[in-house]
Amino acid sequence: MAGRRLGHNREMFLRTVAALFLACAAWAQQVPVEEFVLENGMKFLVVQRKDSPNVAAGWVAKVGSVNERPGVTGISHLFEHMMFKGTHAIGTRNIEEDLKINLELDRVYAAIREEEQDLARRKRLGEIENVKDPKVRTPRHQKLLEEFNRLNARQKELLVTNEFDRIYTSEGAAGMNAGTSQDFTIYYISVPANKLELWYWMEADRLVNPVFREFYSERDVVHEERRLRIDSTPTGKQMEEFNAMFWKSSPYSWPVIGWPSDLEAITREDANAYYNLNYAPNNLTACLVGNVDVAEAKKLAERYFGRLRRGPRDPEPVRTAEEESYTERRMVAYAEAPPQVVVRYHTVADGNRDEYALMVLAELLNDRTGRLYRSLVLEQQVANAAFAGSNGYKYEGYFELRGIAKPGKTPEEVEKALYGELEKLKNELVPDRELQKVKNQLAASNFRRLQADFALMVQLLIADVSRGWQTINTDPPLMQAVTPADIQRVAQRYFKPEGRSVMLLHTKRAAAKPSAGGAQ
Amino acid sequence: MKGVGLALVAALAALPAAPQQLAKHPRELRFDERQFTPPKAADFQHKLANGAVAFLVEDHEFPLVNVEVIIRTGGYLEPPEKAGLAGLTGSQIRSGGTRNKPPEVFDEEAAFLAASLGSGIDDFNGSANLNCLAKDIDACLALFAEMLREPGFAEQRLRLAKSQILQSLEQRNDRTADIEQREFARLMRGDKHFTVVPTTKATLESITRDDMAAFHKRYYYPANFVFAVSGDFKTKEMLGKLEQAFGNWPSPRIAVPPVPKPQHTPKPGVYAVNKAGVNQGRVRMGHMGVTEANPDHLGLAVMNGILGGDAFTSRITNRVRSDEGLAYSAGSSFPAGVYYESVFVAGFQSKSETVAQAIEIVREEIGRMKTAPVKAEELNTAKAKAIESLPLRFATAGQKASLFANDYYTRRPADYWQKYTERIRTLTPESIQQLAAKYLHPDRLVVLVVGDVDGILKGHPDRPQHSLAKIAGEAGITRIPLPDPLTMVYPAE
Repeated sequence: MAGRRLGHNREMFLRTVAALFLACAAWAQQVPVEEFVLENGMKFLVVQRKDSPNVAAGWVAKVGSVNERPGVTGISHLFEHMMFKGTHAIGTRNIEEDLKINLELDRVYAAIREEEQDLARRKRLGEIENVKDPKVRTPRHQKLLEEFNRLNARQKELLVTNEFDRIYTSEGAAGMNAGTSQDFTIYYISVPANKLELWYWMEADRLVNPVFREFYSERDVVHEERRLRIDSTPTGKQMEEFNAMFWKSSPYSWPVIGWPSDLEAITREDANAYYNLNYAPNNLTACLVGNVDVAEAKKLAERYFGRLRRGPRDPEPVRTAEEESYTERRMVAYAEAPPQVVVRYHTVADGNRDEYALMVLAELLNDRTGRLYRSLVLEQQVANAAFAGSNGYKYEGYFELRGIAKPGKTPEEVEKALYGELEKLKNELVPDRELQKVKNQLAASNFRRLQADFALMVQLLIADVSRGWQTINTDPPLMQAVTPADIQRVAQRYFKPEGRSVMLLHTKRAAAKPSAGGAQ
Repeated sequence: MKGVGLALVAALAALPAAPQQLAKHPRELRFDERQFTPPKAADFQHKLANGAVAFLVEDHEFPLVNVEVIIRTGGYLEPPEKAGLAGLTGSQIRSGGTRNKPPEVFDEEAAFLAASLGSGIDDFNGSANLNCLAKDIDACLALFAEMLREPGFAEQRLRLAKSQILQSLEQRNDRTADIEQREFARLMRGDKHFTVVPTTKATLESITRDDMAAFHKRYYYPANFVFAVSGDFKTKEMLGKLEQAFGNWPSPRIAVPPVPKPQHTPKPGVYAVNKAGVNQGRVRMGHMGVTEANPDHLGLAVMNGILGGDAFTSRITNRVRSDEGLAYSAGSSFPAGVYYESVFVAGFQSKSETVAQAIEIVREEIGRMKTAPVKAEELNTAKAKAIESLPLRFATAGQKASLFANDYYTRRPADYWQKYTERIRTLTPESIQQLAAKYLHPDRLVVLVVGDVDGILKGHPDRPQHSLAKIAGEAGITRIPLPDPLTMVYPAE
């Protein structure tokens, strides 16, 4: 396998050299990254930019929703929230008492879970309608809830709420946030260059001595986030359902934010086990971009992160693969949104040799000179907007097309027009000039995305999750090397009805409800 | 021997540092002082022969050039019966080709050069931008000038844009976030102010190619332009290029009318819009704010940071989100208006059952800002955030050029950033509390709730003490119906 990949790369490189003579060498710029790895396996990437007033600093844990299992879906994201709750030194006035209360809370919560499980059972049997109704609770359940609230109140008295944020903010650090995806969890901030040691102190401390306090109220916050992003938006639920339909066996089928029943049941014990496996230093990469000295960065890294203990084993790659599909799946949805169609094909994981051609192919279809706009929007006038995208995750990938119907046209008509464009790609070679135009745009956008320190830091970390940060330098030439024949080949290989998923979304708006009061 | 010795050194270096070597708490860390003097706009300012002002900032790290233009015009200059004209003109300058090039030809040229071009008109200004590889600057600048000077306003693209806009008008009542934004603006600014006058199917359809061409002709000429140029060039050469691309474009110098102020006094109370099928209510509560001409506005920004502006270090976020788990996002903002008084606003999104409880907390925190003394720690955090984040505003060449151009356009005092840090530094707990006492009015709040109103009125089964009806009091809840999205006529009861 490895040998074949190497040969393939060399071939691509040769073709790149030829391409350089055809167009400008704009994509030849290399990001100069200094890499070092600590004894415990934690990797560091440093890019020095002396003109910056700050250092964009972040780290990534190579874990996301793809590593979850039913019962704890959403734990990667919930865990990301928990990493801001403090440590032994930060977030409480009395760590001994705080830890004691945490244990008490877990004990009481375990008992509450028993009651909740019984309510769920009674609901399954049709004995009760609403498990949240206070009237269906047993006296024991009610008593446990009261005890739980009392413990929470006691812990709150000891809390220094959001001290983690306060320390950073007081020192002028900005943009602190974190994000969770299917494949990774990322934590980042921008610190004044003279206060880089603060970043080391804070990030190492929350990896060495984390305390997942306020666990249960933070679960409620995440549930509100779910309502905000999915439940209460016009097409959030439909898109979630479409994604669940598309994946047959892969864990990419569940949403990053998790299923509500799991969000209400995840325990702190689940979080501890998750942390021990996935947040070991051998599963982490950190990155600093800005006014930072490499030797200094290394000295501080050893001093602060050297304390982390390597995990007993590297987390195992995900076992469950997407099994091949033999049927087309079609979903009909109704929502308060314009009529539209979404079409998805199974393709390849990030970095597969076909991915470069698929990404170039998507660019051929996109933007105001792209084929979808020209054909569907301007010529056929069947759509008001249309997009395409190639999405390579770590283990699987898909290609998605989407079109918003022009008023008077149906999602089915847009679907047909989309297939028409795919057929052209299968049957005719893309003209050289059209391909060159897209490559020019990819080369320029490659520069644009490397400009900001913050953006570069985030991209290096994300690249390192999948195939190594080096791909930020090696992928652009591979994209430039894509030929018309490559485009035709991937179009023929992946755009097949078998395994395709289609969502036809029709507009359904509720009649405006008469209101009790008058207009203002 | 030597090899062994080296290995030993390496092993020693890799030994975990003893815990006692590290500070027990970050407050024990000591940092070098850092001096920051904001750059002066005047050092980067140039005037072109045709009257345009340009701010040029060089940056040679990447072979790219970025050109932004602010144009003295705005949505406030369109007649109400043609609502949508300014926005459409702005987008069609980019989309409608030029006098000599049909849109397909123009777009293809730009795309092959990998140039990114844009144009738009917002409430208070027009804008246009170009980003391209430095080696292509001459060709790209020529395209950019052609777009700005001789837009073609092709009929086919206008028809398409109208169809797209009409489709977006139909979606006006689909998202609670859109409803919330629209109705809160109406409550605060009244129905007559240009920021609130809606585009309807009728106003949209009345807009012609000639309307756009006339609007463009009236405001687009170099004396109305402020350029912000950054990237890989030499300033002197770039000035020559700008002269060449825009130099022979005469400026009629007609005075652009001032931005009209809203003539409306908001009516405090609780307002509700019903939206079926959502499980989360959205809330905004606010009252009139200040202008940037008011010397208190920086103090108010810091005061608001403590109240709800500085995310996780603010009181509203701490209580609504961290303590109670009632919302993912909760906070407040106290901006300063450039042309007229801004609006102070606090808000959050919470499940229907807990909307009333969260409103009570936010209202309580607004009141507490006036009565409870500000802690030194809170103030230090908010001041540090305001002061230490100043260098980040000037971090890149692009940011500098944009900030200079924007300050020039809004006629910000030239010493604004030079005096900024000192103004923040002199704030005290007492002065913050005085500002809160003077400018926060929990008794005058306009509270808007958008969501499943029945569910929100029902409240939480375990917390019957919180109720929206109780918050509204004797005045009751004023219901706002959803308008027809195409005519914007609100059904009468």
